[in-house]
Amino acid sequence: MKWVHRHLLGMRDLNAREIGYLLDKADGYREFLDLAPKRKPVLEGYCQLNLFLEASTRTRVSFEMAGKLLGMEVVNFSTNASSLRKGESFRDTVRTLARMKADVFVVRHQSSGVPEYLSRFIPCHVVNAGDGLREHPTQALLDLLTIRRAFGYFSGLTVAVIGDVLHSRVARSLITGLVTMGSRVVVSGPPTFAPPAAASLGAEVVFPVEEAVAQAEVIYLLRIQRERQDAGFFPTVKEYSRFFGLHRLPLKDGEKRVIMHPGPVNRGVEIDSSLVESEASLIEEQVTCGLAVRMAVLETLVLEGRVA
Amino acid sequence: MKKILIQNGTMVSTREGTLVDRDLLLENGVIQRIGRGLTDPQAFRVNASGLLVGPGFINLHVHFREPGEEHKEDLRSGSRAAAMGGFTSVLCMPNTQPPVDEPMMVRYLHNRASEISIVNTYFAGAITRSLQGVTMAEFGLMKEAGVPALSDDGQCVMNSLLLSRAMEYSTYFSLPLILHEEDPNLGGGGQLNRGETAFRMGIKGIPSSAEESVLARDLVLGFHSGARVHITHLTTALGVELVEFFRKQGTRVSADVTPHHLLLTDQAVEEIGNLAKVKPPLREKKDIQALKEGIKRGIIGILASDHAPHSTEDKEGDFNEAAYGISNLEISLPLYVQSLIEEGVIGWVELWKNLSQRPAQLLGLSRKGELAEGMDADVTVVDPDTEWEVRVENFQSKGRNCPFDRMPLTGWPVTTIVGGELVMHERNVLLS
Repeated sequence: MKWVHRHLLGMRDLNAREIGYLLDKADGYREFLDLAPKRKPVLEGYCQLNLFLEASTRTRVSFEMAGKLLGMEVVNFSTNASSLRKGESFRDTVRTLARMKADVFVVRHQSSGVPEYLSRFIPCHVVNAGDGLREHPTQALLDLLTIRRAFGYFSGLTVAVIGDVLHSRVARSLITGLVTMGSRVVVSGPPTFAPPAAASLGAEVVFPVEEAVAQAEVIYLLRIQRERQDAGFFPTVKEYSRFFGLHRLPLKDGEKRVIMHPGPVNRGVEIDSSLVESEASLIEEQVTCGLAVRMAVLETLVLEGRVA
Repeated sequence: MKKILIQNGTMVSTREGTLVDRDLLLENGVIQRIGRGLTDPQAFRVNASGLLVGPGFINLHVHFREPGEEHKEDLRSGSRAAAMGGFTSVLCMPNTQPPVDEPMMVRYLHNRASEISIVNTYFAGAITRSLQGVTMAEFGLMKEAGVPALSDDGQCVMNSLLLSRAMEYSTYFSLPLILHEEDPNLGGGGQLNRGETAFRMGIKGIPSSAEESVLARDLVLGFHSGARVHITHLTTALGVELVEFFRKQGTRVSADVTPHHLLLTDQAVEEIGNLAKVKPPLREKKDIQALKEGIKRGIIGILASDHAPHSTEDKEGDFNEAAYGISNLEISLPLYVQSLIEEGVIGWVELWKNLSQRPAQLLGLSRKGELAEGMDADVTVVDPDTEWEVRVENFQSKGRNCPFDRMPLTGWPVTTIVGGELVMHERNVLLS
């Protein structure tokens, strides 16, 4: 198929065929990653700039490895050393970096919409590595890859997304991607975290959590940030864990059921420690799928993506 | 457990909305049979001829002061006052010392009540920790420990964002929020209703806007959150209108009043002094009229009492320093009879619904609030005709702070049965 996009800004821009195309390619990389050596320098001579203006370890390392395994030169832009602190405007900083002729910008920013803003004037590909509360498309793609490799299909599958949906770009991208692929998504958690507006992405809000879990084959837990307690979204971690955490996975008529989590996990809060490494847990597989998905995304954009 | 047969009485059916001649047989803590001409030679017989027999009263606003201020009241004395007042169930507010804001305290109080209380004693959990209006308490864990409702009574949750989140969060556990409406900034250190009396007496007043403004805010927050909210001790005419307006918009709101706000105006402060010092303050004639109209039209559907016992020392002396509150649990019914039945505002059936069925529904007490076979054997028998005089020295409550002393009243409970046990009979407390 012909890849029509220049950037990857959000799952909202992709249709089912496009998602399927990326997943097929990522699936190949996932197999490839079990081999050694893993280098496949199809992007030799290209340059990737990781522009992470919000703290991140996993995603940045994952993108960095993906770029390097594909043979790219990867440069990390760190906020602390940035000239942003010297008073240069964000627009000028980014334009300056762009003049250094990177081929792809991987952008993370704490404000929703920044990657889209950059994409309007940056003369290279932009990959959104997480913007504010809005989207985190490579996370959604890696989750979709993990689910597809576990089940083989999307249609007919129910995924329960549990926890802080309100503040989660992971949830927004995942719901969008799953709905596009034909899965049913239910969201649950404290009402302060699971707003009725989630319906606008195609998810159903279901209370209580036990009911949402009972309906689903995939239980997707979101990370609970403790600062949300201070902001009054829930009273205590203890209460959160008791009523909204996953402590056991009841069997569903012998059907396959899996647990997923974008990490990092708060063991004993949103999920019982014993479940993290249980047979049903795909949490570690998600990490490897993340690398495969990012390789597929970078390769597709750099080699097939529309140029300005 | 002994069987009890209540004979020859007029049964108040809150379900059917009727008064009918029926006998009741109580056994094993439940209502075994309801019918005419029931006999049972083994049962203890209560002759209710000329008396009204209805579901036990449920009071969703009392202060039993335990733990921390047992010199004012404790679960034993408070529950005995409840039994005298015909109340088979009470909901204690959490503003004790320390407050009831975590599950361990709820469990402790349930244990304590099972030892010394003679009526069903429930405890509201705090909305915010230490009632300080800063962080949300553990609603779910407190519900597991047994709280049927949440309240910061005595304090008003002034942080709108916090209250809004608490309301959203409360819906998950189906816990109603019982809201005390008072903006302390507008209250401005006032001691009684701001009006002519306060002006004449030269004492700072609390404007009705201090109550109405946060009431309006809370109704807005309730409207948007979908929470079940209950406005306790509503006192003003505008307040009644606000509740009616928001209920029409679909807000899940109910409201209660106290007997004193239906009988006394702020002028009572001039006449009686400290004993008429209470929060919210006694208002004006027009407010009493509006509250009665609100009860008549069902906008106010629950009658409570805000029973607030204090020691004599706490109520004496300087008006500005005296404690707020009125001890009224054992005379709440005759006071309501005086203000509502004798004035022709509502009849006995409606009065009884306000005292049993609706509070039971609000608190989720599905086996209470109605007389029907299989329901809990919580029964109150009332003599609608005989007049007795209020005598505070005979109160079971430790709190003698009552402005109605020596008032002749009719409509007194004469028998109270809790879980099939006689706890008060012929105006005597039977259990200790």
